[in-house]
Amino acid sequence: MILTEDSVNKIKEKAKQYPRMKSAILPALTIAYQQVGHVDPVIYEEISSIIRIPALEIAEAATFYTMFHKKPRGKYLIQVCHNISCSLMGADSLISYLENKLGIIKGETTDDDIFTLVTVECLGSCATAPMMQINEIFYENLTPEKVDQILEELKNKD
Amino acid sequence: MFYSPVITNAAEAAKSDRLHLFKYVEDPDQDKLDTFVKHGGYAAWRKVLDGMKPDEVIAEVKTSGPRGRGGAGFPTGMKWGFIPKDSPKPRYLCCNADESEPGTCKDRVLMERDPHGVIEGMAIASYAIGCHLMFIYIRGEFFFCAQQIEAAMKEAYAKGYLGKNIFGSGYDLEMIVHTGGGAYICGEETALLNSIEGHRGMSRIRPPFPAIEGLYACPTIVNNVESLASVPHIINRGGEWYKTLGTEKSCGSKIFSLSGHVKRPGNYEVELGFSLKKLIYDEAYGGGILGDKKLKGVIPGGSSTPFLLPDMIDVNLDYESLVEKGSMLGSGAVIVFHEDTCIVWVIKKLIHFYRHESCGKCTPCREGTGWLEKIINRIEAGQGKPGDLEKIDDICNNIMGRTICPLGDAAVMPIQSSLKLFRDEWQYHIEHGKCMVKSDFSFG
Amino acid sequence: MTEDVKTKEQAKPEVPMVSFTIDGRQESVPKGTTVLEAAKELGIHIPTFCWHPKLKSVGSCRMCYVEIEKWPKLAVSCATEVMPDMVVFTNSEKVKQGRKAILEFILANHPLDCPTCDKGGECDLQNLTFAHGIDDNRFDFQKNRFTSSTEGTTFDDKRIGPEIILNRNRCILCYKCVRANKEAFGEYDLGVYERGNIAEINSAPGKQVTNPFSGNLVQICPVGALTGADWRYKIRVWLTKTSPSICNFSSSGANILFYKDENKNKIHRVTARRNDAIDDGWIPDITRYGYQIVGSDERLKTPLIKKEGKQVEATWDEALDLIAKKLNEINEKKGRVCIGGMAAPHIDNAGLYSFSKLFRTVFKNNNVDHRSNYRMLPKEAGSHYITLCNRKFRISDIDDSDVIVIFGSDLLKEHHNLYLRIRKAYNFNNSRIFSVNPYSMKSSDVSEAELVYNVGTDEVLVNAIGLAAIEMELVDNTIGQKFKEKIIHKTLSEASGVCGVDEDLIKLIARAIANSKKISFICGELFSRSLARDNISSAILNINKLFGIENKGQIIALARYANSCGANKMAILPNPSKAVVDKLTELWGEYPEAEPKNTDAMLALMRKEEINGALIMGMNPIMMYPDRQFVTEGLERLDFLIACDMFETETTEIADVVLPMSSWAEYPGSYVNQEGILQTVPAAVKKLHQSKSPFEIVKCIAEKLEAQLFESDEQLNNEIEQLLSINDSDILPDEFLKVKFNPEEIEDDYLIPLFIGDDPHHSGYLTQKSNSLNNFRSEAYLELSPELAQKLGIEGGESVRVESPVGKIIVPTIISDYLDNDVVFIPRNFSTTPVTSLLMRKHRIDRVKISRVDE
Ligand SMILES: Cc1cc2nc3c(=O)[nH]c(=O)nc-3n(C[C@H](O)[C@H](O)[C@H](O)COP(=O)(O)O)c2cc1C
Ligand code: SF4
Ligand code: FES
Repeated sequence: MILTEDSVNKIKEKAKQYPRMKSAILPALTIAYQQVGHVDPVIYEEISSIIRIPALEIAEAATFYTMFHKKPRGKYLIQVCHNISCSLMGADSLISYLENKLGIIKGETTDDDIFTLVTVECLGSCATAPMMQINEIFYENLTPEKVDQILEELKNKD
Repeated sequence: MFYSPVITNAAEAAKSDRLHLFKYVEDPDQDKLDTFVKHGGYAAWRKVLDGMKPDEVIAEVKTSGPRGRGGAGFPTGMKWGFIPKDSPKPRYLCCNADESEPGTCKDRVLMERDPHGVIEGMAIASYAIGCHLMFIYIRGEFFFCAQQIEAAMKEAYAKGYLGKNIFGSGYDLEMIVHTGGGAYICGEETALLNSIEGHRGMSRIRPPFPAIEGLYACPTIVNNVESLASVPHIINRGGEWYKTLGTEKSCGSKIFSLSGHVKRPGNYEVELGFSLKKLIYDEAYGGGILGDKKLKGVIPGGSSTPFLLPDMIDVNLDYESLVEKGSMLGSGAVIVFHEDTCIVWVIKKLIHFYRHESCGKCTPCREGTGWLEKIINRIEAGQGKPGDLEKIDDICNNIMGRTICPLGDAAVMPIQSSLKLFRDEWQYHIEHGKCMVKSDFSFG
Repeated sequence: MTEDVKTKEQAKPEVPMVSFTIDGRQESVPKGTTVLEAAKELGIHIPTFCWHPKLKSVGSCRMCYVEIEKWPKLAVSCATEVMPDMVVFTNSEKVKQGRKAILEFILANHPLDCPTCDKGGECDLQNLTFAHGIDDNRFDFQKNRFTSSTEGTTFDDKRIGPEIILNRNRCILCYKCVRANKEAFGEYDLGVYERGNIAEINSAPGKQVTNPFSGNLVQICPVGALTGADWRYKIRVWLTKTSPSICNFSSSGANILFYKDENKNKIHRVTARRNDAIDDGWIPDITRYGYQIVGSDERLKTPLIKKEGKQVEATWDEALDLIAKKLNEINEKKGRVCIGGMAAPHIDNAGLYSFSKLFRTVFKNNNVDHRSNYRMLPKEAGSHYITLCNRKFRISDIDDSDVIVIFGSDLLKEHHNLYLRIRKAYNFNNSRIFSVNPYSMKSSDVSEAELVYNVGTDEVLVNAIGLAAIEMELVDNTIGQKFKEKIIHKTLSEASGVCGVDEDLIKLIARAIANSKKISFICGELFSRSLARDNISSAILNINKLFGIENKGQIIALARYANSCGANKMAILPNPSKAVVDKLTELWGEYPEAEPKNTDAMLALMRKEEINGALIMGMNPIMMYPDRQFVTEGLERLDFLIACDMFETETTEIADVVLPMSSWAEYPGSYVNQEGILQTVPAAVKKLHQSKSPFEIVKCIAEKLEAQLFESDEQLNNEIEQLLSINDSDILPDEFLKVKFNPEEIEDDYLIPLFIGDDPHHSGYLTQKSNSLNNFRSEAYLELSPELAQKLGIEGGESVRVESPVGKIIVPTIISDYLDNDVVFIPRNFSTTPVTSLLMRKHRIDRVKISRVDE
C-alpha cells in the first residue's frame, strides 16, 4: 500500500459521514493527494479497496477534476492563476518571472524536484492579484521581491 | 495558513446600522465561537429553535425577499418554499462555496473570517426546509476556508449548536464539509450535487429541479454562502427591516468583489442600488483607475456577464438597473480594465477559461468553446481571417440557450457583448494582425 | 403463441392522458411521455445520438431539438415531457437550424474517414449529415487527434476488449456506451476520463472491457468509435442480408438478427433484435458471438463409422445402414427396451418430438431424457419440482415488481437477460431486491440484502422465512401453525442457526415478501441441480401458499436451455405428465408400457449391460453429467452407440457411428422459451457440409427401420401444436408439503464446497468452438474469495490441485471480485478441464480439497 494507515483511517472516517459510500470518492482522493502529491491508477485501486467503489469510478472522477495531479511533481507545486483579474495585474509577467527564476517553463519541474510550475484558473483571489498557490498556501498581492523571498524561504526550509 | 490580505470596508460596516455581513470581519477572533456569540452570533439560531416554526422562517425570508447571491439571483425564500411538504424522503441543504467565477472572491472572506456566520445561516435554512444533514461544498483549492469552517463546525458541535437535540429542541442537525477537486462547473448546482454524490461534476438536466429531486434524488436546496450568511440577520432583525435595505426590488446588502485596474481592489459590502461609479472611483472603495488611466470597460457581475462601457457606469448596482444596461449583477464581481487593455486579449483569457471548465456534456458547449478558443487565439496572434467575426457570432448563437446548464451562455455572453461594444477593435486585429493597444502588464 | 401464458395481471393504474399538438396534429399521449417518445409513437422522426430507449435520458447531445410554442429556447425532446396543450414543431426552420448547428459542432472534430470506417452504411452521424446537407465544413483547424502509436492497431485504433476496438477520434461523446455499461449492465470496465473537449472514453485503467454484455456497446455506438473485432473489415454491411433468429444458448430465447453473406453461405455477425417482452433489446455476448460455432472449421463434416477401432468417414447411407443393422440386432437379441435415447434441450420441437416418437412408437420404450446435467433425476411424474417448474410467469413482469427475490441462482452466469431485468427493475422501478444464495453474487450491488446461507441448507432457509412471518404475525396464525407442522425446525432462531443467516435479515425479507404489492420470486439453477431439489421445491411451494405469493406476483423456476420447456412439452422425459401421456396415446393410438428410464437410470443400466444401444443427439454426457467415470463406463459398455453432434466431443469419440448434425441456424425450427413463449425461426444459412437437422436424422433412422413417423409435414406440425397446447400447470398441492432435512455428512478431508456451472461467457460444451467467446475465456479456472485464497496460501493465477473422493484436476485460480465466503466455483465449459470427474452423483454437495501444485 502506498496510502499510509493514517490516510486510510482518515478516508474511512470521512466515508462514514455520508449517506452513500460513493460520496467518499472526492474526500478520499483529496486525502490521498495530500499524502502522495499526485494520484494515479495504483492509488485508485487502493481507494477502491478501502471504500469498495469500483476503481473505474474513482478514475473517472479523479480525471474530471484538475486539482489532483496525475503524475509525480516537485515538492512544491506552484500554481499561478492566469485568469482575467490576475492577468490584468500582471499574471503573465509573473509567470515569465517564475520561469526565468526557476529555469523551467510552465508544466515543468526543476531538476532538483523542488518546484513544479503550472498555471491554473481563477482561485478566488481576484482582488489580491496577482497570486500563486504553493501546495496548500495562497500567496497574494505578489511583487517580484515577495516572490523572491517566498521561493528563498521554501528552498531553505530543508 | 492565513487570512487573505484582501481589503474590505469592515470599518464602515462596523459603524453602520445597516451593513451586517462585514461588521466583524476584521476582528481576528470572530472565527472563535465565543467572540462570535459575543457579537450576537447564534442568536437567530436560538430564536428559531426557541419557537419559530419552519414555515415561519420561510415566511420571514420570503417577506424580506433577498435574491440568491450565487449569480442567478433567484429569490431565496421562494426557493425554500419549493421543497415538497409531504415527501417522505430526507431533505438536504447544500451551501455552495465553490466560488470559482473569475472576479469573485467574496465568499472566501466570509468563510475565513466569519465561519460561524455561514454555519448559522446554513443551520437556519436547514431547519426551515426540514433538513437534518447539511453540506457545505467548498472548492478544493480553499484549504484554509475548509479548515476554518471545519474548526468552527467542531466548536459548534462541541457547544451543542449542532448535533443531536440541539438546545433540547428535539431538532437534530449534522454537517459535512465536502471539498471539491478543481472544477468551476461544480459551482453549478446540479453539477455540485453530482460532485457530492461522487460522480463526475457534470450538470443534470432539469426538471426535476433539485428542490424536488436533488442530492441522492431527495429534495435539496442549494444556496450560496453569502445568501445563507445574510439569513441570521433577517431572522434577528426581521424581514421588514431587511427590506428597507437596498432598493425596492433589489433589497439587502451585497458584497462586491472589485478587481482589475483599480487602486484599491477589494471586497465591499454595500446596499444594493449603490453607484457603480462610486464603487470604482470613491476613495473609500476602488479609489479610481490604476495609474489614473482612462477607463476602458467594466464587467459588473463576474466574468460571465456582458461588458459596460465607460459611459454606462453611471448605474446603480442592483438587479434591474444592470439588466437595463444590457448586463447583469451576477455574482457581484466587478472587473475593471483601463485603456491599455486589449479586448481580444481579455476574451482570449475568458474563452480559455470556459473551454477549460466546460464539463463536456453538451455538444454545443464542449465543441463550441473549443472552436471559439481556436479562432480567438488565431485572431489574437494576428492570424485572423476575414469572416472570423461573423463565424464567432454564429457559433455563439449556436451555443446561447442551447445547453443544459448556463455555462454555455456564460461563455458566450462576454464574447457577444465585446463583439458588439468593441467591434472596431476586433476588426483592427484582423486587418492589421495586431492589437490597437498592448496588454502588457507588469506585476508588483 | 399457442397458449395464453399470461401471469395474473395486476390491474395497472390508469394513466391519465395529455393532449397536445405536434406538427399541427392534435394528439394525446399518456402523462409522463416525453416529446420524443410521443413523436416516435406517432411516426414522426426526430434524430438522436445520446438517447437510448432503455437508458435514462441525459439530454446531452442536443440533436433532438424541437420547437415549443411560447418557449424561448429550443427544447430537447428526449428530456421534455408532453404537457397539456403544448404546441410542438419538430421540423420548423429554427429546429432545422439548431440540428444543423449540432451536426456542425460534432463534425468539427470528427474525422471524415468514412471509407475506412467499419460503421459506414449504418452510421447515425453519416446518415444525418447526409440528410441535413452539411457540405461546407467551416471548422478550418486541425482536428483533435488521439494517436495510439503504442497501443494501436491501425488508424489510431485501440483494442479495449477482446472483441472491441475503440477509435477515440470518431467518438462523439454521447456516453451511451458508458451509461449502458453501468446503468443497464452494472459493469465498471469502461469509463470516461478527463473533461470538456478533451474527454475520452476508455477501458478502466490497466483493464479490458470483458464484461459478458460488452458486445452491446458496439451495437449502440452511433458512430464508428466502437467497432466489433469479430465483424470489422470482413464485409460491408450493405453486402449482407439479414435473417431473424433467436439465441440457442439460453432459455430466454433472446431475439437476434443474423447478418450473412448469401453467396458464401456464411454468417458474419449477430445483433440484437429488440423484443421488449423477452430480452429488452440487450443480448449477452454468448448470444452475440455464439454464432461462430456455426461456421467453425471444426464442424463434423461427414458421418463417421468405427472400423477396427477407428472412426473413418462414411456416407450417410453407409452410416444409416449400419445403424439399422445394429439396432435390429439388439432388438432381436434383447428387445427394444435395451435402446436408450438422450436428446439435447437446445434442439427444436420437431427434432425432439420426432425423437420421442421414434423411441415410443418404434422402439416402444420410455428411455428418453433431455437432462444431462442434473443428478439423480426424479423418476416419478408429478414431483414437486415439476409442479414448481410449471408455474407460469412473465420475465417482463419483473420490471414493475416491487420486491424481487433471487433464490439459488447465479444469474450472471446462466440467465443473463434475467440478470439485466433485475438491474432494470432496480434502476427504473426502485424495486427491492433480495439475493438468497449459498454464496455471494455479483448482483449484490443492487440487492437490499444478501442472505448467504450455509451450503446445503436451502430448505431450512426457505422455512425460516415462513417462520419469521409467523413470529412477526404477518400471516394468519392458524395457517401458520399448519405450516409449522410440516417442517423440522419450529422456531426462527433454530432455523436461522442451522442455515447460518442472521434472524434480522430473515425478518427483513419476510416483511418485504409479506408487504409486497407485486413480487417476483425467482428460483434458479443452484437448487434445481441439487440432489434435494424436490424437497426444496416443497419448501418453496409451502411459502408460496403461506404468503400467497402467486396471488400478487409470480414464482419463476428457471429452465436452463433454449428449448428445455419445449423438451418437456415434446415428452423428452421418461415420465411425462398424465395429460401429455393421454394426448400421445390419442395421437399415436398406443403408448409404451415399458418402465420409464431417466438419464441416470439409463447410464446405470448401460453399466449393467442391460441397455446395449443408445442414440445420443446433441448431448455430451461424458463432459456434462456428474461423475465422469460412471458415465464413461456406461457408454463404453454399450454394444452400439450413435452420437449426433456438430463437433467431435468426448461422447462422439467413443461412438460407433457419428452423425454430423446441423446447428439451429441451418434449419427452420420452433422453440419454447422458459416463459412458455413459442418462437418460430427460419433457417439463416443452408446446411453446412453433410450435416442434417435433428428431425431429418430421426426421420432417416426411422425410415431405415422401415417405420414412417409422419405422413406429412402437416401431420408433424399438427401433433406438435396439440402437445404445445396442453396446459398442465395449474396443479398446486392443497396442503402444506412435508419438508425433510438431513444434514449433510462431511468427510474430514474434503471441506470446501465446489460449485460447477457456466462461465459468464460460455454455455455448455459448444461455445468453446466460438473464437470470440474464447477470446474472453478459453480455459477453466477455480474462482475463490480473497479470504479463502489467503487461508490456503494461494495467489491469483497460480494453478492448484483440486481433489474430491473420486477425482482430481489441476486448474489455475482467479480471485473473485465478489465471492466472500469459503466456496469455490469451476466452469464446466472446457474440454481441457474435466471438472465433472470431481462430482459424485449421490452427494448433495460436492466438496473438495485444494492444495498448491508444488506441495
Ligand atoms: C457555471 C456555473 C457556475 C456557478 N458557480 C457558482 C459558485 O461558484 N457559487 C455559487 O454560489 N453559485 C454558483 N453558480 C450558481 C448556482 O448554480 C446556484 O444558482 C446558486 O448556488 C444558488 O444559490 P443562491 O440562490 O443562493 O444564489 C454557478 C452557476 C453556473 C451555471
Ligand atoms: S453547458 Fe457546458 S458545462 Fe454546462 S452541462 Fe453543458 S457541457 Fe457541461
Ligand atoms: S437525444 Fe436528446 S439530447 Fe441527445
